[in-house]
Parts: sequence; C-alpha cells; structure tokens
Amino acid sequence: MASTPLLDRQFLEKLERLTIHWQKSFNGLVGGHNTSRFSGGGQEFLDHRHFHHGDDLRAVNWRAYLRLEKLFLKMFQIEPRVPVRMLIDTSSSMALGDGRKFEYARKLAAALCYVGLVRLDTINLRPFGARLGEGIACGGGRHQFSPVMDYLSDLAAGGKTDYLEITREFIGSYQQRGLLIIISDFLDDTGCEKPLQFLADYGHELMLLQVWSEEDRRPPWAGELELVDGETGVHLKLDFDDLAREQYTRAFDQYAAGLQQLALRNSGRYVGISTQMAIEDVIFGSLVRARGIA
Amino acid sequence: MFFLNLTFGQFAALFGAVSGAAVLLYLLDRSRRKQTVATLRFWVAAEQPPLVRRRKRIQQPLSLLLQIISMALLLLAIAQLRWGSRLATPRDHVLILDTSAWMAARSARDATGRRTLMDEVRDRARAYVKAVPPTDRIMVVRADALATPATAFESDRRKLEDAIARSAPGATALYLDQALAFARQTQVLGSRRAGEIVFAGALRVAEGSSASHPASTTAIPNLRVLAVPDNAENVGLRRMAVRRSATDPDVWDIFVAAHNYGTAPQSVSIYLRFAGEPAGFRGIALAPGAEREATFAYRTHAAGVLEASLWPHDSFPDDDRAVLELPPEPNLRVTVYSDEPELLRPVLSATPRVTSLFRRTAQYRADDTGLVILDRFRPPEPPKTDAIWIDPPANGSPIPVRTRLQNAQFDRWCSDNPLCGGLRTRDLHLAAASVFESAPSDIKIGQVEQGPVIVARPGKTKTVVFGFHPAVSEMRYELATPLLFANILRWMAPHLFRRSALAAGSVGTVSAEMDEEVRKPEDVRVAAEDGSALPFTLRDRSLHFFTGTPGTVRVTTPGGEMVYSLNLPQLWESKWEEPAGARHGIPVFRPTPGGATDLWPLLAILGAAGLVVEWFLFGLTHRRMTRLRLPLSFIRPRARKAS
Repeated sequence: MASTPLLDRQFLEKLERLTIHWQKSFNGLVGGHNTSRFSGGGQEFLDHRHFHHGDDLRAVNWRAYLRLEKLFLKMFQIEPRVPVRMLIDTSSSMALGDGRKFEYARKLAAALCYVGLVRLDTINLRPFGARLGEGIACGGGRHQFSPVMDYLSDLAAGGKTDYLEITREFIGSYQQRGLLIIISDFLDDTGCEKPLQFLADYGHELMLLQVWSEEDRRPPWAGELELVDGETGVHLKLDFDDLAREQYTRAFDQYAAGLQQLALRNSGRYVGISTQMAIEDVIFGSLVRARGIA
Repeated sequence: MFFLNLTFGQFAALFGAVSGAAVLLYLLDRSRRKQTVATLRFWVAAEQPPLVRRRKRIQQPLSLLLQIISMALLLLAIAQLRWGSRLATPRDHVLILDTSAWMAARSARDATGRRTLMDEVRDRARAYVKAVPPTDRIMVVRADALATPATAFESDRRKLEDAIARSAPGATALYLDQALAFARQTQVLGSRRAGEIVFAGALRVAEGSSASHPASTTAIPNLRVLAVPDNAENVGLRRMAVRRSATDPDVWDIFVAAHNYGTAPQSVSIYLRFAGEPAGFRGIALAPGAEREATFAYRTHAAGVLEASLWPHDSFPDDDRAVLELPPEPNLRVTVYSDEPELLRPVLSATPRVTSLFRRTAQYRADDTGLVILDRFRPPEPPKTDAIWIDPPANGSPIPVRTRLQNAQFDRWCSDNPLCGGLRTRDLHLAAASVFESAPSDIKIGQVEQGPVIVARPGKTKTVVFGFHPAVSEMRYELATPLLFANILRWMAPHLFRRSALAAGSVGTVSAEMDEEVRKPEDVRVAAEDGSALPFTLRDRSLHFFTGTPGTVRVTTPGGEMVYSLNLPQLWESKWEEPAGARHGIPVFRPTPGGATDLWPLLAILGAAGLVVEWFLFGLTHRRMTRLRLPLSFIRPRARKAS
C-alpha cells in the first residue's frame, strides 16, 4: 500500500510564488534573490568609495576623476547566493501522543524546501536529536524535490535532544554564515536558549519554527498523575488540577515568548505553530507575517 | 425484608471487610494515571509531587463513597435480599419413592390383583405433589439399595408426574437410611428453604439399614411418611446352590432354600425342572419367619437350565422361581498308541473325566485331538497336540537322548513344580532308562545321577517324555505312578480339575468363602455378565461384592470358578418403625402470606451501574471529559495543591 505524500500537488503549486527571506546581509556569489549590503559585481549602483591599490580599474568612475582629479571606485549592489540550512527535530518528544507533531514538522520542512528549490536556493536539510544526523543537500530547481520528499518520508523520531552538542557540531561543520531554519518543539529540560544564542552570535540568521501539540501547551489530564519524560524516562508524581493547568500554560507561553525574544533580538524570526493549525495557514499566514517568506 | 443466602452477620462481616479494604487502598496509594510527556520542566513549575498528605486523608471521597455504595449493593444482591415475609419463600421438598423389589408385590387392597404396591406409592406421591403449593419445588428420589435422584428441585408438575410414572420396582431391598441422609444433605446444600422430606413406601427395610432403628430418624423434624399398607404373607426362594457330588461325578447335589416372610405358617412345594423336564419335588412346611432347605440329587452330565419353583404362588411371585444354568461336564480325550494297552489302562481309568481310546501303533494318525500317548515307538510324523512320550527310541525322541543307562538308581523328583506335587519314592531302581539332554526351559520331573529321565517341555503344545516305561519298572507298584499321571493331566488340561460351584441368589451384597489357595486379591477376579470387573473386598478368605442388577456373576480363583446367578429379588428383613414425630398422610398447606419479591437483579444492576459511573467519572474516561471541558467542579469543589 502506497504511503500518502506529505504535500499534495495543489498545495505545491500555491507555494511556487513564495520566496524564503532573510534579513541579514551575507557575503556570497551572485545568484541569490535577496539584496545584500555588501558590494560586489552586481548591476545596481550602490555607492562610491576611494580607490585603493589593487581595486579593479574597470570600476573606477572616470567621469568623477576628470572633474575632481580623484579616483573613486563605483560599488554595485549584489544579490548573493546565501546558504539555507534547515534542522528538523527527530527526538522522541516530537513523536509523543499521536505523532502529529513530527508529521507536522516534516510537512513544514517539505514546504520550505520546495519554496527554496523553486527560487534556486541551496538547502541543507539535517535531522537532529542528541547529535546532527546525515542530511540531504538539495538545490537546482523544483524537479529536485522528489528526493527531499523521500528523505523526509523515511525520517523516524527517537532519542534525546542535546542542543549544545548539535550547536557545537553545526558550527564546526558550516563555516559560511547563512540562514538557519530550526523546526522543533524546543522542549528540552536543559534549555536551548543558550545554544541558540551561540548560533546567532556566530553570525547565522535564525528562523525558529516551534511546533507544539495542544497537549504540550495545555495538558488535558487532571487528578493524580505519574508523568514520564518521553526522552529521559524521568518519573514525576503529582496532582494536577485547573489551577495547575493555568500555571503550566503560563510557563509554556513564557518559554515560547523567550524564544521569540531571542530570535528577534538577533535579527531572526520566530513562529509558534500549533499542530491544530492548517499548514497552509501557517505558510501563508504566520510565516509571511513574520517575514520568513514573502 | 430478609436475606436468602447470608445471615445479617455474614453480610455485615463481608461488607466491613470490603469497605475496609477499599478505604485502605484509597489511603495507601490510589492508582495514578501514567502519562508520557515531552518535557517535565513546565510540570515541575506548575505542581509539586504529593508526599505525605495523601496518606492522611481520602483524596477522592466521592469516588470512594460511590465504590462502597456499589459494593454494598452487589453484596446485597449476592445475599439475595428479598422484600416480604420469609414465610412466603417457596420451599423445597424431597419426595422419596420406595422402588425396592417388594414394591412389585400385589396390593392387598385391590380385589383384581393387578395393582402392585408401586402403583399405590405412585398414587400417594401424585396426591402429595398436588397438595404442595405451586411455587414450592420438589425433588423426586428413587430409593432401593441406592438413592437415585430422578429430578432436580423442580416446580414443573409435569416433569414430576413423569418422573413418578417412570419409577418402577428394582431388584434390591430398601436401605432407607441412605435415602434419608441423601435427602437431608440435598436440602441443606441445594434448597432455598427446606421443606419436607417425604417417604412414600411400604416401611420394610433391609437388614443392616440403620433406619430400622427409630433413633436414626428422630433427628429429622420435617419427615413425613406416606405409608402403603401391604400384605406381608409371602414365601419365597432365598437361594439355590448346585455342586458336583463328591461320590459320583455325574450327579449334581442341589440345595434350595425357602423363607417364610409372613406371620402365618405356610406349606409349600418346591418343584425342580431340568431342561424343561421335571427333576424333583419336595413339600416343606415353614413357620413364620423360618427358612428351610430342601436337597435334591440329579444325575446328568449334560448342560441345561435348572429351575426351582414354589407352589402355590403368593402375592409376590418374583421370588417363587430360581434359575441356574448347569455347565457341561469337562472331558479329555486321550488317544493311546501302544501295542501293550493293558499296561496303561489302570493309570488312565483312575481319572474320571478322561475318555481313553487305545490303538495299535500301526494305526497312528498325526491329526488326533486331545492328548496323545505314544508308548515306545517312533511315529512317522510327530503329533500336533499335547503328547506323552513313553520311552521313545533314541533316534525318535522329541528331546535328545544323551545316554542309555542300565540298572540306574532313581535319584530325585523335582521339588518346586506342581508337576511333582505329592510324589514320593524310595530305593527305586530302573532296569533301563534314557537320560535326556534337556533345555533350560524344560522341567526336569525325575532325575538319576547322570541327568533327567522324565522331562516336561512347555510350549504351544505341551510334551512330557519318559526315559523308561513306568509300568514295566519298579515304579509300577508305586503310588507315585497314578499321582504323576494325574499331575501331568492337570498340567496339560487344567480345566478338567477346576472345581465348579453354582448358586442362585438375590441381588445385593454377596458373600462367599474362598479356598485356602486364595491369599491375596490378585488371585480373585469377579466379573459381571458382560465381562466387566466388579469391585470386591477380600478379608480373611471372605469375599464380598455388590450388584444392584439381576444377572450372572463369575468369581474366578486359581483352583476353581463360582457362578452366581443372581436373579432372585432381595427382600426386606425387618419392618421400619416410624419415628414418633413423623407426620402422616397428605398434608394441607396453608396459603402463603403474600409474596416475597426478589430484589437481587435490581441491586446487581444498581451496583454495576455505580461502578461504571465511578469509572466514568474518575477512571479512564476522565481524560475525554476534560477535553470536553465538562464541569468537574461538583466532583472536586476546589483545586488542590499537593505540595
């Protein structure tokens, strides 16, 4: 029995008019679609600067030299090709409950990959848990989307999450700064704020997509509970009632707000996504509003 | 309102135990719902785990209350709580029908002589069933030597009528104590409310039935007796025994015993018939309660049916006739091939069941049946049946001859074999004798110093070989010679010497004295007519077995066989004295005050519903309820903090 594809064709056609956006200016070769404040071999005039030995004589503004007898160099704006990296959380916490969270994350990753492929972006997609997993590099147009779909369909969730370790590994693997999209529930007992700050400080632009199920934000249970951490196996016995539920939800919202603040403070973006939201609404609503795509 | 199954104390004890256990469980550790979550960081912030306070008070009092109420309802259902008066509860009666052999006697109240006592018992039983209120249940039990329930406690009158109609006289006497004990036990274990134990019968019980003693029934307060009047004037055969005469093997000694069960002296005639022909007649006078035996002698060696009958017949004709089947007399055909037949004739004529046929050696035939004796000659073809070879030639002996001796001194007889039983000789000289080369399985009956001179070889066909002729040696004048031949014939044809005894008697318990050779139960086999083994006991050579159905029982021992033709009915021995407190006659039951309503179905439903509701509110479905955001405030009025 053939498995259902993550995204259907009608939805993919709608995605073709979108573009992944980033706010930071990155160095890179011409060929991208976002302007950069760095000058380069583009077509659009950006500025003048004094000529220094070794500069390209073809960029000297000879008219200005004749009038002012000074050498000025013309600088042109470029649209560099910026590497897009996407990390998708495959820890056990993503598969808890009915597994909708992980399914949702895979669909979201597939949709963003398709948007990037349509705009000829190069996207490195890598799963992560306690460590970074073997990923897939995709680029070269929409016809390269099929391997991405296959890869995402074969992904399985399991294991713990260690943000500090994957941050260390990521920085060691990728020297060139770029856009880093992280799709995760960010529910780690040890906290992920500090590792994410490291990534931002290193120069990557963060796009944090926090996927949660309704149980994560507002647990439906009540009474005497014995809770088991899905990743660590730690047990906790407690009584849970409406008041405690309110406290829980408040703590969760505070945590999500902290993640958003971290992203915005570092010129990144944050989108909180409930699995009860339609993926189309998230792509064309929340992500567009957050200027993650346009 | 009352409990049918439990007393109030039992109910209170059970309810206390169940409630205590429930409260204890709630105080100790109510089972928690296990839930796997993505992280514990927000849970820890929201709530602290409860540690001590949960052991000091009930966490969910409403749940506990609901459970205890549900359990109380279920216990009430188990106790069968009834609404109404206890007196209104239907009762369970046991109706014991006398189906002993005596019930086949003709009723004294019927002038036509067609009705039996069993018909009277059925009428009484039907009248009692009609008198019992329709809601009461009755168990019909048929009682003779055994108490056999014909129905369970039954309120369907049609089934009861059917069971009464199908009750028929048996072949044994009434053992009333067993039936009463069975009825009492059934009422204790299986009845809702004990009713009466009713006995319908003729009040005549077997010897050894403890009910014949009034003390055994005084402890039954609910006993009712529906007595059937009978005419006890009866003379019947008790037993008939047949055995071979010790003096003449062709004559049967026949013993017939008759008993007067009545209260008046009787004169009866005993007629004997064999194979349908008159074989004897005796007239005897019997005082009340007396038993006399008549002896007959009848000469025949044929098989046939021997019948003894009483005349005149009385109201109970079943015990006026006894039948035995006489077996044919066993016989062995012995063919002697000898040119000097006079030598062996005296030896063979000493055994009465042997038919001897003497032939010359020239007339030898290999297809003879029975036993063949070959006297000092070598047949062209060995016989195909058992054979005794007397001094065969060395080249024609069935057992190889080792050597031929002259003037040999006979040494000894074997000591450990029945073939040598009773053999004694002294200074026996053999003028000439062959010494045989015997096989290990051979029996060396007689030996000289050099080896065996008389050898028996067991097998499919048995063979005995003499190395000398006993009639032409000094052994001719020894007593050992006819004894040795008798032993050989017993070994070759044991059925000839098996003692047979036949007896006709009544069914029930049979006792018999065994011979001295019967030492352990493995030596005895008691078989019914169809060949199945009957259980028996053997104590001090006294054998006891029981059969409840008429038929033939064979008791086989190593030395003989006893055949019991148990066709006579077992009759009563004494009259049962009714206990003083026993009720009589068909009762008139008072109308029951109202009716008692069974509440247990309703209580069971309510109890089960209570448990379901508790499970729904506090159990697994609570999660679904929370999703639906049902108002739970009425269950827990305020949120608790366990910390």
